[in-house]
Amino acid sequence: MQQHTGETAMNGTEMRNKLLIPRSCITTEGNKTGSWRFLRPRYEDKTAPCAAGCPAGEDIPRIEMLTSRGLFKEAWETILRENPFPAVCGRVCFHPCEALCNRGEYDAAVAVHTLERFLADTAARCDFRSPMEPVRTREERIAVVGAGPAGLAAARFLTLLGHRSDVFEAAPEAGGVLRWGIPAYRLPGEALRQDIRRLEREGVQIFTGRRIDRAFLTDAAGTYAAVVVACGHGRGQAMAIPGETETGIVEGLDFLRGIREGKGDPCDGLTAVIGGGNTAVDAARSIVRLGGKAVILYRRRRQDMPAFQDEVRMAQEERVIIEELVAPAAALRDGEEIVLTLRRMIVSGEEHDGRGRVVPDGEKSKDLRVRRIVRAIGAGPEAAWMSPETDAAGILTLGHCRLAFPERQPAVAFVGDLITGTKSVAHAIASGKEAAIALDAFFNEGREAILPRLRDCTVGDGTALSLEILLGGERRLRSPHVVGYAEINTDHFRFAPRLTQPRLLIEERIRGFSEIDLKISAGLAMKEAERCFNCGLCNGCDNCRLYCPDVAVIREGEARRIAYDYCKGCGLCVVECPRDAMFLEEEGR
Amino acid sequence: MRRVIEGSQAVAEAVRLARVQVISAYPITPQTHIVEILSEYCEKGTLPARFLRMESEHSCLAALIGAQMMGVRTFTATSSQGLAYMHELLHWTAGARLPIVMAEVNRALAPGWNIWTDQGDSLSQRDTGWLQLYCEDAQEVLDSTLIAFRLAETVSLPVMVVLDAFYLSHTYEPVDVPAVEAVDRFLAPYAPRFRMDQTVACSFGSLVTPNDYMEMRHDMALAMEDALDELGRIEAAFAGVFGRNHGAIEAIHCQDAEIVLVTSGTITSTARLVVKALRERGERVGLLKIRLFRPFPGAQLREALKTAKKIAVIDRNCSFGAGGIFAQELKAALCNLDPCPLVYGYIAGIGGRDVTPGTIEDIYRRTQETDRPSDDGLWIGLREEAPHGR
Repeated sequence: MQQHTGETAMNGTEMRNKLLIPRSCITTEGNKTGSWRFLRPRYEDKTAPCAAGCPAGEDIPRIEMLTSRGLFKEAWETILRENPFPAVCGRVCFHPCEALCNRGEYDAAVAVHTLERFLADTAARCDFRSPMEPVRTREERIAVVGAGPAGLAAARFLTLLGHRSDVFEAAPEAGGVLRWGIPAYRLPGEALRQDIRRLEREGVQIFTGRRIDRAFLTDAAGTYAAVVVACGHGRGQAMAIPGETETGIVEGLDFLRGIREGKGDPCDGLTAVIGGGNTAVDAARSIVRLGGKAVILYRRRRQDMPAFQDEVRMAQEERVIIEELVAPAAALRDGEEIVLTLRRMIVSGEEHDGRGRVVPDGEKSKDLRVRRIVRAIGAGPEAAWMSPETDAAGILTLGHCRLAFPERQPAVAFVGDLITGTKSVAHAIASGKEAAIALDAFFNEGREAILPRLRDCTVGDGTALSLEILLGGERRLRSPHVVGYAEINTDHFRFAPRLTQPRLLIEERIRGFSEIDLKISAGLAMKEAERCFNCGLCNGCDNCRLYCPDVAVIREGEARRIAYDYCKGCGLCVVECPRDAMFLEEEGR
Repeated sequence: MRRVIEGSQAVAEAVRLARVQVISAYPITPQTHIVEILSEYCEKGTLPARFLRMESEHSCLAALIGAQMMGVRTFTATSSQGLAYMHELLHWTAGARLPIVMAEVNRALAPGWNIWTDQGDSLSQRDTGWLQLYCEDAQEVLDSTLIAFRLAETVSLPVMVVLDAFYLSHTYEPVDVPAVEAVDRFLAPYAPRFRMDQTVACSFGSLVTPNDYMEMRHDMALAMEDALDELGRIEAAFAGVFGRNHGAIEAIHCQDAEIVLVTSGTITSTARLVVKALRERGERVGLLKIRLFRPFPGAQLREALKTAKKIAVIDRNCSFGAGGIFAQELKAALCNLDPCPLVYGYIAGIGGRDVTPGTIEDIYRRTQETDRPSDDGLWIGLREEAPHGR
């Protein structure tokens, strides 16, 4: 290196002190300080906890990043890659992602659910077209029995993987429990049709009014290489009490279906709803809307109810009464009313899942006079053949579905509520997606390929699967490491209140079946999406470049790279990355 | 205008009057009031300077190095651990010949945490190439700060204005705060002898081979020597405008003194009273205050102390294993005198312990009664009855 010793002496003084100032005017680029490095920073996108916890495996940090920039179409398309039901899930998904949101430890979780609904609304308003084109690349045809969320998801993902799938639905309209089981105030028909119409455009063929029976599993051979059984739980469980068959006792799912079919008769007087699940809560709230009073009778405690907590809370706002620790013992018609005898229960220990275990409180009981009883204590499959065998030979049980490979017959995949522990639309989608990927692996490479293929496209360390990872998209490059709150550099964020979902007033809600959750504006959506930490996903914030003391982060368009010739490996970029999208590794020797 | 202000405010007023352009600071007790006042002045526009709040003292000085190289007048203030943290850049400032001025509030170093006065922090930076002025009262703090800018800019070396924690920084005293017009007559705007030119890309302080480095360092040594004479000239100019000066040292009754007490900082004020009282009782005692520690005014000290028989140096510091630092320096300055007075070193007031008139009289008596001084100094005022020493 050339050395300048510049000298600017002060003239005209008697002072002896000179000023020798070393100064170099040649570039220092020749000094490749990168050779000093023993730690190497690297860009590496990781997995966000929300995405790993989303049963459908949605790329939530990316969706929110795009939303925050106003790129609503791109954000919506990002949802579609993993989930064909944004309009549905934006409304009725119980959003496990939000419970896992790192921002929840900082101030409050990002309102992922509300933003998904916003993107679906925007897509409907702007008539966005799905970017997914049907491409038939495979010969196998697959029959799907049941056009609920699991069946439709299986058909859709099979279609995207190049297979032709025909969906057979017994009802006159597709949607399954989404169409017939969930009240319109939670999921209006038009929202469901929005997603289903798009699925059909993406190449899924739906045949409604086609009831399938057991014989189909064998008859399908020759036409179909596989059958996906997605019939759901359509038959309610009995209470097994005296008087169960009295008139005025109806099954919850039938009651809800009646309303969705337009047979919403007025419900005057008091109705008892037995059960603590979503069907019970939906039924009780519907009764209120039909002009009646509803009391939910649940044998465990309020906090043990399997229904989504938000729904329970809103039901109480709408003056649904919840009476806990009572179990029906007998029903007896008495003129216009039914006398329901209830046995008092007490908590005695805890179940494995943390819910209270209850036993009868001696002989304590009481009578309740009601006009009708809605029974919603659980449901099962309508026919025995819909239930898969558990561990017979040729059965493969996966995380979200079960496969059977009978000899000389089409392979059978059981999906949705028939299999999943949690009965939710997101789990149904996960189930359909897993079956589609498993069947595709089976057709292409045989049964042995199924498990490795599923492992390959897992999101993070969880159980969700990603089609984008399967198809070799950008997500494939992300590390499976799930970013924890401790790995977020919160110094780079400010507290910001979570978006409040605008809703109809209680007085408006109980007047009819209008959708409760209202739309939000694009401005609010962008503001809420900006709250997202984008855990593990580089969003181009440029902190790495701004904090680099060696000017060794080079920006090239939207991308950044590290000039390793000059990076000394101080690690500042990694520490100052707000979202853990970088890491520091020991330099190879 | 005469005002009753804290020593801290005396610093801040001087910085305002000096029209400093860039200030950086990281708060540390007991320096805090200085930078609080300055930050307010900057916010209100009383002082149109850029105030940089940094995340550490190391960065404070680094920022000032950059600013000063752009050709502006700069200032910072710190204390104790903060100064220790600046250490690397103290060397850099002097080597780069940047006339940065710093107020250094003497505070003891940890552990144990002690926020009270002690000269250990500034004296352990004595070899960094910074000039050091130790102040006795708030007026001297204000005057020394103004003088520091002119002195630093004249010799192209940084200056530390040192004041005792609390006894000066937090004590209200009447201080003559001059008008800015008067200060302007004494202190011209900063005229840098070199500066960075943003239109010419180059790096400063780059590699220097053995061929040049020694000359650079020799220049610094010469600049330090010049500073002794320059201080005299600058103080004469100061006296011309303000009618007072303080000198590198101040000798009181030294001509006929057999024993001379040597002090620095606020202990001097206490010693003045003791010497006055002893003189009234007919004792032949003198007092010598050292204000300028770097460069060490050896020639002036030899002249002032040549007739003394015994010299008692009171050090509010200790270089462990070698005793008080003022005593060491003084011994080195006097050792070639013939005859050479005996130098008695006393260590007192460590970590803010009171040095009372009684302490000083005790030191005087011990010096009077002891024929030979101890090598490494005697600790005075320890809690045990007997003084510890070797």
